Amino acid sequence: MSCLLVAFALGISACGSDDDDEGTGGGGTISGDTLTIYSSLPLQGTSKPQSEAVIDGERLALEQAGGKVGKFKINYVSLDDSTAQNPGTADEAQTAQNARKAIQDETTIFYLGEFNSGGSKISIPLLNKANIPQISPSNTAVGLTTDRPGADPGEPTKYYPAQKRTYARIVPTDIIQGAALATIMKEDGCKSVHIFNDKTTYGAGLARNVEASAKEIGLSVEGNDGTDRNSANYRSLAAQIKADCFVGSGVTGENYVQVFKDVAVACPDCKLYGPDGVAEASFTDPKEGGIPAAVGARTKVTVATLSPEEFEKQGIAEAEKFFTDYKAKYNIEGQPDPYAIYGYETMALALDTLKAVGDKANDREAVRKQLLENTKGRKSVLGTYDIDENGDTTLTDYGLYTIDNGDLTFDKVIKAEGG
Amino acid sequence: MTAIRGLRQAPWAKYVLPGVVIVAVALLPFFRPPLDGFMDDCILALIFVTMALGLNLIVGFAGLLDLGYVAFYAFGALVGGWWASDHFTGVNGEKGIHLGVGDFASNLPGIHINFLLLIVGAIVVCAVAGAVIGLPTLRLRGDYIAIVTLAFGEIIGRFAANGDEVTIFGDYAISNGRESISPLDSIDLLVLDQFDSALDLRPFYWTMLAIVLVALIVNIRLRDSRLGRAWVALREDEVAAASMGVPLVKTKLTAYATGGALGGIAGVFYGLYLNSINANQFQFGFSVFILAMVIMGGLGSIWGVVIGAVVLAFVNNRLIPDVLDQGFVNDIKNDIGLNFSFTEVTFGIFGFVLVLMMVLRPEGILPERRRQIELTEGTGPDESVYEARA
Amino acid sequence: MEAASVPAEEPRQRTSEAAWELVSKYGLIALLLALPIYYGIQDLSDDGDLSRLGNNLVDGLSNGAIWALVALGYTLVYGIIELINFAHGDIFMIGAFASFGLWGTLGLTAQTSTVGLVVGLFVTLLIAMVATAALNVMIERVGYRPLRNAPRLAPLITAVGFSFILQNVGILWLGASQVAVPDLVGSQKELVAIAGLSISRGDVLAVAVTAPLVFLLVAFVARSRLGKAMRATAQDPEAARLMGINVDTTISLTFLLGGLLAGAAGLINTLYQTSVWFFQGFTAGLIAFTAAVMGGIGNLRGAVVGGLIIGCIQQISDNRIGNEWTPAVVFAYLVLIMVFRPQGLIGEETREAG
Repeated sequence: MSCLLVAFALGISACGSDDDDEGTGGGGTISGDTLTIYSSLPLQGTSKPQSEAVIDGERLALEQAGGKVGKFKINYVSLDDSTAQNPGTADEAQTAQNARKAIQDETTIFYLGEFNSGGSKISIPLLNKANIPQISPSNTAVGLTTDRPGADPGEPTKYYPAQKRTYARIVPTDIIQGAALATIMKEDGCKSVHIFNDKTTYGAGLARNVEASAKEIGLSVEGNDGTDRNSANYRSLAAQIKADCFVGSGVTGENYVQVFKDVAVACPDCKLYGPDGVAEASFTDPKEGGIPAAVGARTKVTVATLSPEEFEKQGIAEAEKFFTDYKAKYNIEGQPDPYAIYGYETMALALDTLKAVGDKANDREAVRKQLLENTKGRKSVLGTYDIDENGDTTLTDYGLYTIDNGDLTFDKVIKAEGG
Repeated sequence: MTAIRGLRQAPWAKYVLPGVVIVAVALLPFFRPPLDGFMDDCILALIFVTMALGLNLIVGFAGLLDLGYVAFYAFGALVGGWWASDHFTGVNGEKGIHLGVGDFASNLPGIHINFLLLIVGAIVVCAVAGAVIGLPTLRLRGDYIAIVTLAFGEIIGRFAANGDEVTIFGDYAISNGRESISPLDSIDLLVLDQFDSALDLRPFYWTMLAIVLVALIVNIRLRDSRLGRAWVALREDEVAAASMGVPLVKTKLTAYATGGALGGIAGVFYGLYLNSINANQFQFGFSVFILAMVIMGGLGSIWGVVIGAVVLAFVNNRLIPDVLDQGFVNDIKNDIGLNFSFTEVTFGIFGFVLVLMMVLRPEGILPERRRQIELTEGTGPDESVYEARA
Repeated sequence: MEAASVPAEEPRQRTSEAAWELVSKYGLIALLLALPIYYGIQDLSDDGDLSRLGNNLVDGLSNGAIWALVALGYTLVYGIIELINFAHGDIFMIGAFASFGLWGTLGLTAQTSTVGLVVGLFVTLLIAMVATAALNVMIERVGYRPLRNAPRLAPLITAVGFSFILQNVGILWLGASQVAVPDLVGSQKELVAIAGLSISRGDVLAVAVTAPLVFLLVAFVARSRLGKAMRATAQDPEAARLMGINVDTTISLTFLLGGLLAGAAGLINTLYQTSVWFFQGFTAGLIAFTAAVMGGIGNLRGAVVGGLIIGCIQQISDNRIGNEWTPAVVFAYLVLIMVFRPQGLIGEETREAG
């Protein structure tokens, strides 16, 4: 037995020093003419319809590019970062597996994910070490890219062990969303606000931002309580609400339909506000298990996407074209899921980055640099924007939506104060 | 012919088969790419083997039905979270405490200690936890032990999930609640380069294999030792054991402590391998998963448990998501018009396996001799092997 | 066989045992009263009256009625075959799911007329009860009967297995997230306010449906012939067999009754909470089992009393400590009871030795 152990020790030390030579980490060049783009989204539970809209958007962009960039054929693989036991959000072990799958695939050139900020905490460090450029269609947690208010200590440095940036996102951070919510509450006449958060990276972070912005703008914050997704109901928690406005900072998958239902009963005169985490049909539509119509009538939701009409008003022709194409290809009547356009733009940004580096599209380092240092003045379906040195977009518009007949209906643009 | 018979009788003969298997398993990574998905599954299988061996000590050897094994996984993982990450940022005036760690970690705030010390820490914490969990169960009947251990498992899971509200020594939270504690330090064995799970899984594999071998050695030695025989006596008939001078309290608590320590070691490794610790993982389903491995392999049978663990780990991580959900079975299923994915029914499948094993082959795949005699020849209706009351 | 870890019994032993019996009983009562009294005093100093505690208790009693129904199922089964039926909580969950499904089939919505609702809910109640009862009997037949003579471990593990299978059925049926359900009876609307306490429709409904079911069950077990057979089998199956009682059928009957009650509890719970979830059975099962043990396992009155008490503790904990801590509080109570007074408040009624 002991002889075997000695043999293993030798084996480990013999192979341990090979660490640096293996793998395609560190900006290697991909051989061959096929490049793979991975997408990692939660495909189970309440997130399923919205994730599928993102995938549809991504596929549309890829199709419009003809499935290739220059001489490279693009292979698109969609991964699920949720599990049956943990649906409606990114599961950590599964996310790590997805990231490793992308790393292990030598032809990977882009990773489009995660959808939930808590999942990106896991995949960003892994992909960073392998120097794979990453774009998220929807992460809003501040600490993933900057250390501004709302980030935890140690963020964002601890996510980038290779000490350079490989991650970008096309939605504004929650500093803006927090300011947007505070602005709209003040406009609606709120004097005091009570916040619930779902204790995830996204929900807790956004709640901190809302609290800070609300205080700045002159609203009094009566409380910022965490909710537990496994509770049957939140009546006793909601009974403590004495404010006149309520913000439910969470995602639908963390049982926020029940939260809003119970708060609506406990505080019959409160105005209710939700962030983009609940901007989906599984929250707004009673037929899909969402909040009842009476509660929906009192709720307003903020999402960083605008309506087709609003895009038209701002003169973004690309957006109009997107909506026409998307609705035609997927047979949608009415407004598509707000995140469909983000799926489209995520893929479009990835493909345009590859196009911009031309023949070096198989060089991860070249693509990374292009994404994070040279994406300026980009004209897209969302408008014109830059990606700054942190990987954040310079867009700041947030849309305010009301709920009509179970659907999200665009109300107006919020130009947030501050942020 | 006689030569072979002679060989078979040699004292080292019974080590040949396990030895060959171990060498084959150790050489496996040389035949696979460094970041292989199959290697990932193998590492997970090894982690589960260690945990199943630990649970086997408690349930199989000592006959104490522990349905809260997830508590030891939780403690092990939390040890990693406390002492190998920047969770306690305020310590030492924001400079942190560092003991034997590599360069990247030396500059981070928080407590960072070397992996080998983490293992020691996990053993100590889980052994103490095991003793504490076992203490209330000393005078209880078999099924009540199950419930109490289950309750402890849930209580500890709850504390981990709500740990961001519970503070000790000032304002250090015991866990990060539903947000994960991440990233964690990479495993650093000091004499070798630091492991990196984004580049090469092989060092992880060999480290875990070494841990499994140690666990196997510990189990085999314990089984054949005085303590092991005390456990078996305890399992079979507590009264007789007591009257033969077996110290009941000490024996039971040692079972929990040892079994728990193995779970803690595996838990620490698992947390560091996944690079994050999240309280969502500490659920009752995990305890049942490990228990299913022990039962499938055969309660009390060391090699059986190893086989059971490997089989179920692969069923969970490879068979269901990769083979069933993507192969021809999936196509057949879609053709019939059934609209579900096999990953959704993972736990149902495990439940089914449990029921099937219990009804058809309760002694397990590779049963321990004594157990097989008990279960196939049966005990009388009034004699329940686990009944003991104060 | 009963085994005592202390060999001989001497008179001194008996006195100390009797003393321990008294101490543990009143200790348990004190422990149970600790939370209400503590928070009652806090209320008096904060608000000046006990209305907050009173509301907690009102909610607690109605929730507790639901737990009582489920606990009765556990206690009946444990009393007769000394098995903790892990799958029972999930039978409750299936009852809830079935009720929700039936509402869809019968076309019950929040807009249905009162008469329509009453009739529809009554039909749902009957069908759900029968469905869960049948399911429970089937599980017993397939999973527990073959293991009647196996060591205790075997049927327990089988029960866990069935629990998982049922949970997965729930996942396949309605998905893995909580599903909001139409609020048919307006369960949170206040029906009456007495002495500053608000009693909602859901509260009244829970008690109104539970009480008759409990009375019926207790009467059945106490008076009817089959009930007597159940009690006899619970006391001593061998002797019962000798007296001509068909033990197998009696055990199936026990499971049937337990299933009926679990189905009813499922419907009431769905009306009360307005949501269903595949995982609700697991939590409910452990809470109900705590209730059964608290009252005294095997003891019907004990299960009801235990259920009501646990409901109150749960509500107080939800309201004061936070509902993410409530499971930990309930389980802590479970551990304390198991360790210090496993026979519960009223006393166990399980198989006699020998």
